[in-house]
Amino acid sequence: MSENELDTIDDSYDVVIIGAGNGGLAATAFLAQKGLKVLMLEQHNLPGGVATSFVRGRFEFETSLHELASYGPESNKGSIRRMFEDMFQLDTEFVQVPEAYRLIVTHPEEKMDVSIPFGVENMIDAIEKEVPGSRESVRNFFRLAKEIGEAFSYIGSTGGNPDQTLLLKEHANFLKTAAYSAQEVEDALGIPKRAQDILNGYWAYLGLPISRINFTIYAAMVDNYADLGGWIPTNRSHGYTTAFDEKIREFGGRIEYNTRVDKILVENGKIVGVETVNGDKIKTSYVICNASPTLTYNKLISPKSEVPEIAYKDVNARIHGLTGFVIYVGLDASAEELGLNEYGYFIMDSMNTEEVYDSWTSLQPPEGLACVVLNNALPDCSPPGTCILDITTLFRPEAWENVKPEDYYNIKNEIAEKLLIKFEKATGAPIREHIEEIEIATPVTFARYTRHYKGIFYGYEPESWDSIVPRLMSMGKDVYIEGLEFAGGFNRRLHGYSSSMGDGLISAQLTYAKIMKEREKA
Amino acid sequence: MNKENEEKLEVTVKSNTKDLFAFTKLVAERQKRIERASSEPITKDPINDLARKIHPDVQYLVIDEIKVETKSTKTFKLVPDPDSSTKELAIFRSGQYLSLKVKVNDVTITRPYSIASSPKDALNGFYELTIKKEEHGFLTSYIWDNWKVGAKIESSGPEGFFYYDPLRDFKHIVGIAGGSGITPFKSIALSIIEGNIDARLTVLYGSSDEDDIIYYDEFQALEKDYPDKFKFIHVLSCEVVSLEGCETGFITSDLIEKYCDVKTSSFFICGPQIMYNFLDNEMAKFELPPKKIRKEAFGEVKDVLSIPGYPQELAEKTFKITVHVGNYSKVIPAIATESILVALERANFAPPAKCRSGECGFCRSKLISGEVFISPISDWRRKADKKFNYFHPCSSYPTSDIEIVIPRTL
Repeated sequence: MSENELDTIDDSYDVVIIGAGNGGLAATAFLAQKGLKVLMLEQHNLPGGVATSFVRGRFEFETSLHELASYGPESNKGSIRRMFEDMFQLDTEFVQVPEAYRLIVTHPEEKMDVSIPFGVENMIDAIEKEVPGSRESVRNFFRLAKEIGEAFSYIGSTGGNPDQTLLLKEHANFLKTAAYSAQEVEDALGIPKRAQDILNGYWAYLGLPISRINFTIYAAMVDNYADLGGWIPTNRSHGYTTAFDEKIREFGGRIEYNTRVDKILVENGKIVGVETVNGDKIKTSYVICNASPTLTYNKLISPKSEVPEIAYKDVNARIHGLTGFVIYVGLDASAEELGLNEYGYFIMDSMNTEEVYDSWTSLQPPEGLACVVLNNALPDCSPPGTCILDITTLFRPEAWENVKPEDYYNIKNEIAEKLLIKFEKATGAPIREHIEEIEIATPVTFARYTRHYKGIFYGYEPESWDSIVPRLMSMGKDVYIEGLEFAGGFNRRLHGYSSSMGDGLISAQLTYAKIMKEREKA
Repeated sequence: MNKENEEKLEVTVKSNTKDLFAFTKLVAERQKRIERASSEPITKDPINDLARKIHPDVQYLVIDEIKVETKSTKTFKLVPDPDSSTKELAIFRSGQYLSLKVKVNDVTITRPYSIASSPKDALNGFYELTIKKEEHGFLTSYIWDNWKVGAKIESSGPEGFFYYDPLRDFKHIVGIAGGSGITPFKSIALSIIEGNIDARLTVLYGSSDEDDIIYYDEFQALEKDYPDKFKFIHVLSCEVVSLEGCETGFITSDLIEKYCDVKTSSFFICGPQIMYNFLDNEMAKFELPPKKIRKEAFGEVKDVLSIPGYPQELAEKTFKITVHVGNYSKVIPAIATESILVALERANFAPPAKCRSGECGFCRSKLISGEVFISPISDWRRKADKKFNYFHPCSSYPTSDIEIVIPRTL
């Protein structure tokens, strides 16, 4: 028996957090800071989940972050910056990316190439310049977005039980748009089609067509980026996730990596502990699960008879979202030499988002890309004379379901080559002759590292009926097992880095309140 | 903009009543959809199944055949262990390796070996590894004594980044191999024949003696059957040479230029550390961009005293390592010139470790206190790992007593 095998963790904890992704990290930091006895278990040997980095040759690649929302400048801190700096004092550094995005649409009838700056007024000006006469309607989009943001804060502050009269009085515009798609509301605001296309640039970050995506969440996201800018960590996401790790330990919390939970033990509808594949048996009455409800109910809860029927129904009713495909390229020419002057590029065959989404349902070349040239925000992120380019697209996981292992590497290379060519055509930058390092992540790669159901990283799709408002207003009613909370991109705040961290915090607060109440009773 | 002067925004999507009514129905609608949904558990996840097929955590293998290649090398044919959960072998890209986990006298160690067989062979149920017996080699002595047909071997999935990439590399691969560093090129050659790599292959293969050459006959046959695809040049460093058509001495820049157009070739180098030291100087003469030269990680640095910056005065010392893993702690001794990973393995710890070259990241550990020397030629740490004192035990050496947290074994 090796010394490693002598190590087991058989102990009891106030709360066990499963998964050290964005949601798990925020939840654990909060509870550890409050002085609870907490243990976070992570299957991988690093924190972060998809919020990490990896090294190939002379390059350290960002795994999935394009830019963080809700961070903001010192003078206008967003909720994430307040969490990092004021709440936890994380030892981490962020910089603002230079512009919102450059949108290149290649369809001959829709041709567009426009750079959009941050700042609500700047955005309105840039769109007006491209689409004269759009100013008033686009301004109304942002005014409405602001009101929606305020309504979200109000609903959040009531724990999902808003006063309907107050909502009607103070947040009428929010109420009247909450049930509609972005398409329906943008039409109602009278925004010209071409201006809509520009405003819809961020659509792929939520990953469903403008005709299906709930307006309130889309508008809130656009407004958040416009107002606070997009921010990235100077040491990749691994920089802040490792800073979380440091802080959690400093707060007295415990983290174990290479430790995969395979059972969440439930008795009489209540959490009683967890077991790991390493053989640990841990007692706890509270679990915050950074894994999805889909994975948790179908695989983790033990015994299976403890999974209530309603939990399966809940999971089956939701529309499982997208997974992705990322080409990480280390180039042996600088961004300047290549003529790549922007940080973020959205390259779309068309702004008919239904068509683009449809292209993600098969292995045909994807029609929408979101690309990042990291050096244009972090000039020193790679050696002089080089730069880092990430090209991201999305897939419905079903597109990959019938891939055979023997075809896997060829398929991923073929898709990658088509996307590299697409990027070259759109930007004019000769990428392929400068590839020094290249790595490609597919849905299979995301499944490999996260073990999320089908490798999905975009949570459940936020159509209006399952967008943030109904999810928030169902809070508490969707706890099917006592002591179990979820945290992360599949939960109430929807997917995305900031949302996942914010959600982790809410779940931690709810769990903390329950524990305090119990202690008071005792 | 002056907000007070602005008219209050009034939005209507369909009609005032309809819009408000739609809101009141949102939660009810969600509830209704959930109630109506199926209550069947989800039992299938083809994407995770595929991920586990391509990247298994572990493969249980058994030796099916042993071929003696030279006086010091053998080829082991490995197939799935019928008594295990391994039913098929993971596909790989020619040039990748398997990390074998071997128990030698109750001490568990790992070692990476390049796969010599082809990806198609893996689909047909076998891998081949050609292993050279090292003089005084702790592991290879054990292998020579104990690995018979039927012996069970625990392996990782395929790992490593030393493979041809059509998106990056030129269509002429120039392999430069030393000793058992030839093994990945056999796999690459087979992939070319099987149509999985669309490129030509020229290999400059350095051996110290004629009877040390591995795969001589196979390479002769390949060259004969596919003259437009392959060229194998044997470079012998021994004094007396009887072999026809071979080169003598070392693999110099002149020799390389003699057999390829340097500008339109991608170089793949695999061999012992000492060959890399020599080739670095030779290759530098071509002033090639880094993208054209790929080197396989050569495993642990053999002689840390030769690495620039190593504090020579510590060579004779032994330090204490306080090791923490999960709930367990122990103090173990460590010889200054041996990697911390070797010290851990000697003390019967078995942390995850695959490449043993600082590249794969699996042994990533936290330095709580004390100092280590990190071999600069095997330092692939992330920026934040440097900042927060993480290191890779396989490429780090203690320069004081240290306290560390090592990863658990999953």
